[in-house]
Amino acid sequence: MKIDTPLDWAGVTDHSEYAGVVNLANEPGSAVSKLPEAQPLILKAKTKEEMERVALYAITTLVPGPPVKALMSPEVAGSVWKRNIDLANAANEPGKFTAFCSYEWTSMPNSMNLHRNVFFKDCAKVPVQPFSALDSFHPVDLWNWMDGQRKAGNELLAISHNANLSDGRMFPTEVDTKGRPIDAAYAESRVRNERLIEIKQLKGTSETHPLLSPTDEFASFELMSTLLGGPPGRFPHIVGSYARQALKDGIALEDSRGSNPFKFGFGAASDSHNTAVPYRQNNMFGGHSFTDGTPEVRMSGNLVGGFFDARTESTSGLTGVWADENTRAALFEGMQRRETFGVSGPHIQVRMFGGWEYSAAMIAAKDWAATGYAKGVPMGGDLPPASGKAPTFMVWAVKDPTSGNLDRIQIVKGWTKSGQSFEKVFDVVWAGDRKPDKWTGVVPPIGSTVDIDAATYTNSIGSVELKTVWTDPEFDPAVHAFYYARVLEIPTPRWTTIQAKQLGIAPPGVVPPTLQERAWGSPIWYTPSAEARKAAAKGTTVADVKKQGGTALDDAKLRALIEHKSVWLQNTVTGDKYMIVYGSLGKGAAKKPLTPAEADYDTQAFPANQGQFQVRYVDRGVTLQSLTGDVFEASYLGTARTYNIAGGKILTDLVGTPIETTVYKLGDKYLAARSNEFGFVNYEIIPTVAVLHPLGAAPDQSKPN
Amino acid sequence: MLREPLVHFACAGALLFGVYAWLHPERLAGDDSRRIELAADDLRQIRLAWLAQGRPEPTPEQMQNLVEDRIREEILYREALALGLDQNDTIVKRRLAQKMEFLFEDVSALREPAADELEAFHAEHAERFAEPARVTFRQLYFSPDKRGAKAREDAARALEPLAGERLDTAAAEALADPFMFQDYYGDRPFEQVASAFGPGFATALFAVEPGAWHGPIESGYGWHLVFVDTHTPARTRELSEVEPEVRSAWLEVQRETLRRAALERMRASYEIVLPTETADGNAAR
Repeated sequence: MKIDTPLDWAGVTDHSEYAGVVNLANEPGSAVSKLPEAQPLILKAKTKEEMERVALYAITTLVPGPPVKALMSPEVAGSVWKRNIDLANAANEPGKFTAFCSYEWTSMPNSMNLHRNVFFKDCAKVPVQPFSALDSFHPVDLWNWMDGQRKAGNELLAISHNANLSDGRMFPTEVDTKGRPIDAAYAESRVRNERLIEIKQLKGTSETHPLLSPTDEFASFELMSTLLGGPPGRFPHIVGSYARQALKDGIALEDSRGSNPFKFGFGAASDSHNTAVPYRQNNMFGGHSFTDGTPEVRMSGNLVGGFFDARTESTSGLTGVWADENTRAALFEGMQRRETFGVSGPHIQVRMFGGWEYSAAMIAAKDWAATGYAKGVPMGGDLPPASGKAPTFMVWAVKDPTSGNLDRIQIVKGWTKSGQSFEKVFDVVWAGDRKPDKWTGVVPPIGSTVDIDAATYTNSIGSVELKTVWTDPEFDPAVHAFYYARVLEIPTPRWTTIQAKQLGIAPPGVVPPTLQERAWGSPIWYTPSAEARKAAAKGTTVADVKKQGGTALDDAKLRALIEHKSVWLQNTVTGDKYMIVYGSLGKGAAKKPLTPAEADYDTQAFPANQGQFQVRYVDRGVTLQSLTGDVFEASYLGTARTYNIAGGKILTDLVGTPIETTVYKLGDKYLAARSNEFGFVNYEIIPTVAVLHPLGAAPDQSKPN
Repeated sequence: MLREPLVHFACAGALLFGVYAWLHPERLAGDDSRRIELAADDLRQIRLAWLAQGRPEPTPEQMQNLVEDRIREEILYREALALGLDQNDTIVKRRLAQKMEFLFEDVSALREPAADELEAFHAEHAERFAEPARVTFRQLYFSPDKRGAKAREDAARALEPLAGERLDTAAAEALADPFMFQDYYGDRPFEQVASAFGPGFATALFAVEPGAWHGPIESGYGWHLVFVDTHTPARTRELSEVEPEVRSAWLEVQRETLRRAALERMRASYEIVLPTETADGNAAR
């Protein structure tokens, strides 16, 4: 294993539980020098012969005797942890290469990956033993311990790891692993300690998922949906496992409940378990020792650990930090202020600043970054209070000199209103003379130079450097928002395509043959001032509806309202209208002979109160609220999902995560609230719509904005 | 009652213990195995381990719990040993093997190299402590983003006005495109140039004669003309310059030698039996 471009810094994050087992096994006795057994260990002269005598004594006398006490004292035995610290200190060369003291807190209750990598600023101050998942698997306990360390003068931070494998528990919005509410105390503790998240590594990408971001055509990138160890009978929850949704939930939580627990920057990591970092498609040597260690083993689709196909393994990611110098202090502070970016592998560099007065002339200047700091904030920061009509962003990216050219830079925006959250991906600067679509603004694909049979590409398309100033064209000063940059390379062959060629076999069908490597810059947040908030339309909450005399429908009334009906709804936040077809509910009755012409023919076999629903007439042009799944595709393909009615709620799910809808009757209106919208009532049943998109009609006055 | 898992567990445990006691009566004898003594030193260690986690002083109640935990652990540990649960346990084996390695390491760290040993080691491994070759250079960039396929040709053409005369910086830069990083790089070793521009560029740059403009040279970003001010060849460093590095390398070798020697010595007292190979090279079943 040899990597080509050397890394500038690293943290070796051994699983703390290995050191933790050491801790449990270690029995502190008196100092070793006082032990009679240790006396022969002390050198009487500094000679080669004396040294051999001591070694021989250790080997021949100590071991066959009762070794426990003498060997277990820390002075003699040391531990994996101590060894890692020594290695970090030995490798650390300020200005040249930074090696952090760090470890991986390996919490995985019930196969849910809650791992965090913990980085210490200064190796001189690290604790005797790290806090391991044997001490507690609850993230809040880790943060409490970290708070204690910090109070004792030991600066440290945590990076969440493999959110995509967390079974939806990395970014909870209701309760934490102890069942306590996600409140201000949780948010403060999390944000204080968890400054970054890992957006990509060997076991997949945690940015987003096509079911969470159905309008993002680049969302399907190196995904891995599995659970550690592959527990039988379980499949992973998607909701709560991805960063972009967490950023959206974070601002929605801040807007509705006053605090944002998900204010993090981006990094990426190796997750290599064999010391080297396979971050290149053309130098992918696996990361799990013998289970993916040769091209033959990898390409045979070996199930690594019995739970994922080695061919779906990704290359390692890397973290970039903007810092003045390559030292522990400077890099740690860069991570602490979230001025970081993650890359899928190549050394792409990306940098973004947010402010109110950036101009094209500023970014054209050589010292544009100095202007960036002077007149705004770098990525990871909060936009200063509004002093212009809309925020401006200076964004810049340059390619890895040994990898593919750049296709485009995008800015991903998320915002929230009335407990709903939204996202939109803007193409802001791109290679070549492609024209964005006149209506959607989307820049067409760059094309591909990849020869799949030869597993090659050329840099005859794409750019070396991209930069621009972008102004948010849809800025609303009254709502919380975040912005982050995503940089895409041109398509290049995936490692599986390269190794298929080497082995003379077909590229595997379980992954795409090409990919667009990428970089993600940490977000910049916009928080409206109290004054700006007042100008915002105040959403309707469940409490408001109840105060006005609204009552929640019980099961019988819900059935009467929707079962075997096609219901038109309006999202009162966005104004969008669509239809949901609610099929008949099953009766759970014994199957009886029916003819296909009878109404119960399809549903009689369903369990009681369970049926199917289908969302229809959703236009790709709408601003889709979070956690609706790919409703465009569903209305086009005609796919249905399951619903049932119980406990006064219409119960549905998104890949196993329950989403419940309560319907209120207020006067002659029916209003509905979804359980993931933080207590807001955002839907209304409306009369049947006859024409979906009237041409030349006056603007729809019911639509806000 | 018979359906209760706890009862099953207790019965199995008793049976296991009985069999073990019958097989190894000597391991269970002696009063020491029934005595758990914690000395003042042990209590101090417990307290220190607690404080080392960055927590405030343990309350008497917490201290009592910690001691109780320790006792519980000791009891379970001894009972487990008595039942032979340490036997054939990979983790226990691995851990003990590792402790042996730590032990070698610690023993080897007990001795510092003598002055003549360091000198000999330094002389023997001079190339490890050498200073790599470095170049100081300026570069002019011809961007394919701006010039497309003409970037190389433009760079070649710009070489003419540069050749022979030393243009001032502004005049030279006017011939080329703005570069996103630096125009001047002082004292860079090969790896740093390779990592910033790509290995091909670094190889070409290190072959350039100092004192004149050369090129075009291709990097991962496009085409460049380069002017190498100085090329400092690699040189051996005196022991006085690199003593700490030599010392730690010596210790590392020492550790490894000792570890290997110790292992060989121990191994010599073992008879190792492996399955015999069959004619086709596969292990016999």
